[in-house]
Amino acid sequence: MTNKYRQRLLWIIVLALIWQLTAVSGVFSELIFPGLDQIFLALIESFKDGDLIKQIGFSLSIIMQGLFLATAAALILALTAYFSKSAAGLIDTLTALAHPLPGIALMPLILIWFGSGRTAILIVIIHSVLWPLILNLSTGFNSIPDIYTLIAKNYRLSKLEFMYKILIPASLPYFISGLKIAWARSWRALISAEMLFGAINSLGGLGWFIFQKRVFFDLPGVFAGIIVIIVIGVTVEDFIFKKLEANTVKKWGILK
Amino acid sequence: MKKYILIIIILALNLFLISGCAGNEQSAQQSITIAEQYGLAYAPVQLIKELQLLEESNPELKVEWKQLSNTTSIRESMLAGEVNIAFMAIPPFLIAKDKRMDWKIMAGLSESPLGLMTNREDIKSLADFKAEDKIALPQPGSIQHILLSMAAQREFSKPDKFDEQLLTMSHPDAMNALLAGREVAAHFASPPYLFLESREENIKEILSGSEAFGGDFTFIIGVSTEEFYQQQFENYKLFLKALKEAIKFIEQNPAAAAELLADNYDLSQAEMKEYLSWPGMKFTSEIKGLEKFLDFMTAEGYLEENNYQRSELIFEKRAAVGEKKSPETGAVPNDK
Repeated sequence: MTNKYRQRLLWIIVLALIWQLTAVSGVFSELIFPGLDQIFLALIESFKDGDLIKQIGFSLSIIMQGLFLATAAALILALTAYFSKSAAGLIDTLTALAHPLPGIALMPLILIWFGSGRTAILIVIIHSVLWPLILNLSTGFNSIPDIYTLIAKNYRLSKLEFMYKILIPASLPYFISGLKIAWARSWRALISAEMLFGAINSLGGLGWFIFQKRVFFDLPGVFAGIIVIIVIGVTVEDFIFKKLEANTVKKWGILK
Repeated sequence: MKKYILIIIILALNLFLISGCAGNEQSAQQSITIAEQYGLAYAPVQLIKELQLLEESNPELKVEWKQLSNTTSIRESMLAGEVNIAFMAIPPFLIAKDKRMDWKIMAGLSESPLGLMTNREDIKSLADFKAEDKIALPQPGSIQHILLSMAAQREFSKPDKFDEQLLTMSHPDAMNALLAGREVAAHFASPPYLFLESREENIKEILSGSEAFGGDFTFIIGVSTEEFYQQQFENYKLFLKALKEAIKFIEQNPAAAAELLADNYDLSQAEMKEYLSWPGMKFTSEIKGLEKFLDFMTAEGYLEENNYQRSELIFEKRAAVGEKKSPETGAVPNDK
């Protein structure tokens, strides 16, 4: 484990060195390619102001809400599809139609129907998350080995017990990988939605932070925002998801 | 065998790269790229395009027109060297100039009426705005935002009073939202949206641009990069001449100009002519109000420096190679 992190740190340092050398060498103008010192200064300035922390908090809180709502909805829909053939047909069709649509394409519609408030952003997030989650969950449910379902019949488990004790745990790998995809998509959708919709409350979120920096021609600020996005993304992937996997699917031996 | 194929592929890719670069170098000398935006205030630029004024003066010049959706994209394109000449309002120019972008003003383009239009019955002046009433404008740092801040400063001594109620929306979106009467309470509009909105029964203007500024000001200026000015001065001069011609044409023959441009703007000729001669709509290469914008924006922290010489902000008029020095060289454009 630590070996992997050491390697990663090494590569990050190498890349950072390359960046700084390029910036200092003057091959590109300072405006296009700011040095790491400028970027970090911008980062520290933004944190000192206090606004950036609130904006990060806002973005994360909205994503949590969206993910929670979407996961609940996806679970309900996928379970319904598993137990009822006609529902499966409907849900399949809906998913097939909506999944390829990028959230950004729907934004003009959402703007007209829901205005530009918090609801609109939540809808964009839910849309980005719901369909991949349903797909993954359905695949997961349909992939559990028949022997599990036979055992459930043997024990005469009720539908509810079947769900809790066998269906959901067995499909957990698919669920977690669906969650990873959902997280990535929703994070991206959130940032672009914030940029397009403008400040929702007075400060907006991380996407709005980057948009403001761009509009005021503060390229180091834009890079600072990008770094924050990367850090948050990596933290969630490496720590939260890894922990989740370690404590469930890896512990149970379903995943290596 | 596999090794050879790999080597051939790498060589072929390199050849593509090199030919791409070489192509750029050659065409840099005789080409000019101009960014165009939609709006009545840019009418003379559209005229240059319609009448092909540049190609007339120099048939060998390659003229490219780039449609970019907003000022920020134009700024970034110029930074990347893709666009040589562009038109925008004074505040976005100053903001980038202050961050060391190497560009200067070529000339003014137009003065224009601007206005804060609202669809709410109960809002009759800036004081009537409540915290949840949203104001739509193109972006923070735009001239509309600065004008709003100036008015807020004058009325309430709080220039950032409305900063938390702003919605970033392009003019067409903002107009639709204003007409729909839902989210947006007000829109700081520019022509032709200003004119279209003022026709609606339930929409009224509560603040005009000149009220907010406290006088006349140039709405749109033409800017160009230092690099373009130095390396392609002939083409720069050519464009400046074409611009002045176009401005003169519009001011003196609004009917003819309306005929040429109506299709471009998707308006009828009668509408086009009406808009071109709307009171307050003036096409001129004078630059008005620069000092005031500078002072206000520095005082409010949008800019860091305020000790700019005029020569740092505006390209000086100098003669092209082989041209006799005209008597107007050295004359400074009017201000205020």
